[in-house]
Amino acid sequence: MSAETQDTYLKPLPRPSAESQPFWDAARDHRLVLQKCRACGKFWFPPSQRCVHCLSGDHDWTEVTGTGRVFSFVTYQRLYHKGWEGEIPYVVAVIELDEGPRLLSNIVGIPADQVTCDLKVRVTFDDVSPGVSLPKFTPA
Amino acid sequence: MNIEPNTAYRDKYAIVGVGNSPLGKVPHMSAIGLVEQACVNALDDAGLRARDIDSLLVRGPDDIYTFHQLIGERLGINANFSTTATNGGASQILSVILAVMAIEAGLCTTVLCGYGRDSWSRTHRSEEARMRSATRSEEMESSEFGPEYGLFGAPAMHGFGARRHMHLYGTTRDQFGAIAVAFREHALRNPEAMMKKPLTLEDYREARMIVEPFGLLDCSLRSDGAGAMIVTTRERAKDLRRRPVLIKGFGTHNNLTGWFADDNMVNTAAGPSSARAYAMAGLGPDDIDCAQIYDCFTYMVMTQIEDYGFCRKGEGGPFVASGALKLDGRLPTNTSGGQLSEAHCEGVLQIVEGVRQLQGIYGNDRQVKDAKTCIVSGHGGNTVCHSTLILGTAT
Ligand SMILES: [Zn+2]
Repeated sequence: MSAETQDTYLKPLPRPSAESQPFWDAARDHRLVLQKCRACGKFWFPPSQRCVHCLSGDHDWTEVTGTGRVFSFVTYQRLYHKGWEGEIPYVVAVIELDEGPRLLSNIVGIPADQVTCDLKVRVTFDDVSPGVSLPKFTPA
Repeated sequence: MNIEPNTAYRDKYAIVGVGNSPLGKVPHMSAIGLVEQACVNALDDAGLRARDIDSLLVRGPDDIYTFHQLIGERLGINANFSTTATNGGASQILSVILAVMAIEAGLCTTVLCGYGRDSWSRTHRSEEARMRSATRSEEMESSEFGPEYGLFGAPAMHGFGARRHMHLYGTTRDQFGAIAVAFREHALRNPEAMMKKPLTLEDYREARMIVEPFGLLDCSLRSDGAGAMIVTTRERAKDLRRRPVLIKGFGTHNNLTGWFADDNMVNTAAGPSSARAYAMAGLGPDDIDCAQIYDCFTYMVMTQIEDYGFCRKGEGGPFVASGALKLDGRLPTNTSGGQLSEAHCEGVLQIVEGVRQLQGIYGNDRQVKDAKTCIVSGHGGNTVCHSTLILGTAT
């Protein structure tokens, strides 16, 4: 990480595994991709070697619609990491994508106190550093 | 696959002694030292010596390798059977279960189970440690799909469940508050409890928010401390010092697909785990005189009360708000103050308290009247591992 990046972006960056690298590569190009099983046709998340539904090892990284709903969420009112200084409150949510899988992200573009369970959302990409974009969600 | 708990285990094994270390802020003792102290106190309680122990099922902070070996070295014990469980807060009851199974298998006769941690000390060494509020080393935290979104600390994971429960059933923060208030009342009767000040619902509402829907008083304490239990056969228990407390039933369940999967965050692993324990014990929720429920957060008590069948799913809010959890209520719960107000030692102190209630050692101010049965829960391991223990007096 460059000194310049450290000055401007103090939050942790994802440290991808061999299995999750394609997810982050696509996110950098503003595409939300998940593994889709060639045997049973289902999606799963987080990334792993085999389909969690049928254990097939055969899958495609497939772009999804990026729409879904807030399954549940919490609102941070206490600072745990200096990277979020000045950004309290912020919302961390479990998003249920229309394709089924649930993933963790932030809800942005709406005041924290207006987020609700079942709120319809769509993906938006936050370019946080050169080479890293985080999929986040905003009201659909 | 249907499983049938083996009812032949019912009342065949006993907990014959319990002990705890100093609790709260104990910076002069290490986690190993705390567990060692709790083990020595449990031996005293049972009237046993270290050489009577031939199995160690003890656990400490998750970043200390083979904790059972370190304790065996300090107590001078070579064990016929020993290990450290890794199911988080479900590990401590799991150790008691493994003890019974190992004795039954003929691998050992007398088992020392225990757990301890130095979480207050770990989170108060520096301003950075206080802010992170993490009890495990940084290398053990996730590397993606969490920290980059600002997901830190245990409150958030449990908070997702609380928020979902509020959404589905109209549960309110005041109902969570009733849990905190009840346990604080119990802590005031316990001289060893960390929290010494009375707590009202008004105080609960005014406490600062941490990770909504949780405020400070929804969260369990950061504590140093340890507890230990000795398990042996009912037959062997006859010669020992204390009135033995019988193990009537136990069960476990682990939603390994995760807290985010299915509806695991509102119908937790406590449901199937308790069903197995009730089946082994031949008892149901109506037969239970008191409860020690794993209270890492207020919400977790509410869902477990429902999952254990004390009320229907979604009705935990009105149930706890009725005062049911108080010492004179329908289901006296966490009678030592629990992890919210006594000390947070990952459920081991709740086993200790359950045993003491059935040993009948307390005065009227703290004793559950005529308590003959107690149900104890343990929950943890990424919020999805659960263990249940049903204890009873020998009648
Ligand atoms: Zn498949």
